[in-house]
Amino acid sequence: MYWIIEKGHYIDSLESLFATTVLNEQPGIQRALVGMATGPAKLILKDVGLVNEELLACSDADYVIVAEADSQEAFEAAVDEMRRVMKQNNAVEAEESYATVAEAVAAHPKANLCSIAVPGEYALEEVKKALNAGLHCCVFSNNVPLEDERQMKELAREKGLLCMGPDCGVANINGAALVLSSINARGPFGIVGASGTGIQHVAAILHEAGSGVSQTIGTGGNDLKEPVGGLMMLCGIDALEADPETKYIILISRKPAESVLQKVLDRVSRCKKPRVVLFMGCERARIEATGTIWAENLDDCGQKALELIGKSAEFETEAQLDAMAAEAVKGMAPEQKYVRGAFSGGTYMDEAVHAMEAVIGPIYANNPNASPLQLPDLNKSIENTCIDYGEEEFTQGRPHPAIDAGVRKPAILREAADPEVAVILLDFILTPPGHPDPAGYVLDDVRRAQKMARQRGGRIAFVASVLGTTADFQNIDDQRRKLMETGVLVCSTNYKAAQLAAKIIRLKKEIG
Amino acid sequence: MDCSKILELFQSELVVVNVGPKSFANALIRQGYQAVQVDWTPVAGGDKEAQALIELLGM
Repeated sequence: MYWIIEKGHYIDSLESLFATTVLNEQPGIQRALVGMATGPAKLILKDVGLVNEELLACSDADYVIVAEADSQEAFEAAVDEMRRVMKQNNAVEAEESYATVAEAVAAHPKANLCSIAVPGEYALEEVKKALNAGLHCCVFSNNVPLEDERQMKELAREKGLLCMGPDCGVANINGAALVLSSINARGPFGIVGASGTGIQHVAAILHEAGSGVSQTIGTGGNDLKEPVGGLMMLCGIDALEADPETKYIILISRKPAESVLQKVLDRVSRCKKPRVVLFMGCERARIEATGTIWAENLDDCGQKALELIGKSAEFETEAQLDAMAAEAVKGMAPEQKYVRGAFSGGTYMDEAVHAMEAVIGPIYANNPNASPLQLPDLNKSIENTCIDYGEEEFTQGRPHPAIDAGVRKPAILREAADPEVAVILLDFILTPPGHPDPAGYVLDDVRRAQKMARQRGGRIAFVASVLGTTADFQNIDDQRRKLMETGVLVCSTNYKAAQLAAKIIRLKKEIG
Repeated sequence: MDCSKILELFQSELVVVNVGPKSFANALIRQGYQAVQVDWTPVAGGDKEAQALIELLGM
């Protein structure tokens, strides 16, 4: 065991998780942990057997790097590489930092928005401070009690300020991608949405077609539930209707609670700007009765918005998908018959499961909202299976897979080791704080998986989609190209990728 | 609802106060926006933070 202690060097929890991931991936390292020597960190060190008296004697203010390694040289080389990657990742640093919001605002009187990502139980307190300081809020914190959420949003309304979230993962304000958004071109469409992935998806379709967004306002996933009453959705519609840069309004949510739905539809019917509404699972006639364009799903929502400006998105046609499927099944072994989906986005897993089960029947999943068939053991997929790696059981001790691509990585080789697997379905999500190269990160595993299948006399079809834009640092075109060059079948959207995966499975069943 | 403050935001230069992981502030700076960091710690102090933040990032 090798270790380094640096007294008085501070890194935040996200940085330590990232550093741990990087160090664990270095050659010659069996297991490693990097971070502040807090009580919980010492417990983890004890659990994994990486502990000694000197480390236990460290305090909360001490930074430690601990690893089981092949040799001192291997450890030192690995730490050097970790520091290099960390430095690169932190290339631009916030120069100043303050102890409180009040101090930050006093030093920066032009501050106008507060991005809040503190544990849910502390969120109300921080949001109140920010709103009282006159700042609009974007609140990423989740697990916030609905009563707290209502209080935040009522206070925001009283003050005429935005309160996006809690549980707001995506918002673009004045062109800035906040939290986990993609970077989008500016354009005439204003979006208010309760689904982060939903907003990001539709905005990306607009971007790809050469248009863009004026503002995108995330409400958080609970806004349209009864106790919150759609406060932010209603505020967002008011704001976008009043905003001269917004020519068209797009609303996205799962089906709102009945009383909230009625309230929102009443407001929508009075809206003077053209609008497209996607409330998943809501009757088409009710939406259309408000003089609004109804959208069936995320792709349709993007397409119908583009029709308003005489443009259209290019998605694969059925014939194109059929042709891709016919090509994909060539060389597969007779026993290959199942699809395994490994997702970093929950919304995308739901969408894929619903798209595929219509064609190939029931699918096992790790989220009861997606499928009634629950996977009993998350490390052992059964027949057709989809797993959302953003679910709690995978993210304990790690950030969400949109930030930490390592959460989902082991799935590729594990699924490929099953000779009955024909298709592995993946999503990739781009965002400024995310992995700098999420596609590149898994390519070695994809190649190894393809080789394993070949050695068994078969062939695995990898099917993927990338959510993001050409303006994202990772550039969606580069990400798609890397995947395609490695033989991955890349579709324009997650829905199309799921359709292709299902077509391959159905075709394989037909030909045996 | 009176949207004047929201419209003012839409027409102003964005200056973000970031309360949470520094990587969110850095992501904004890399995009060319102004962001200032608040090094938040829970009032209760210490131990709960790491676990709770991890929970938060589990979304």
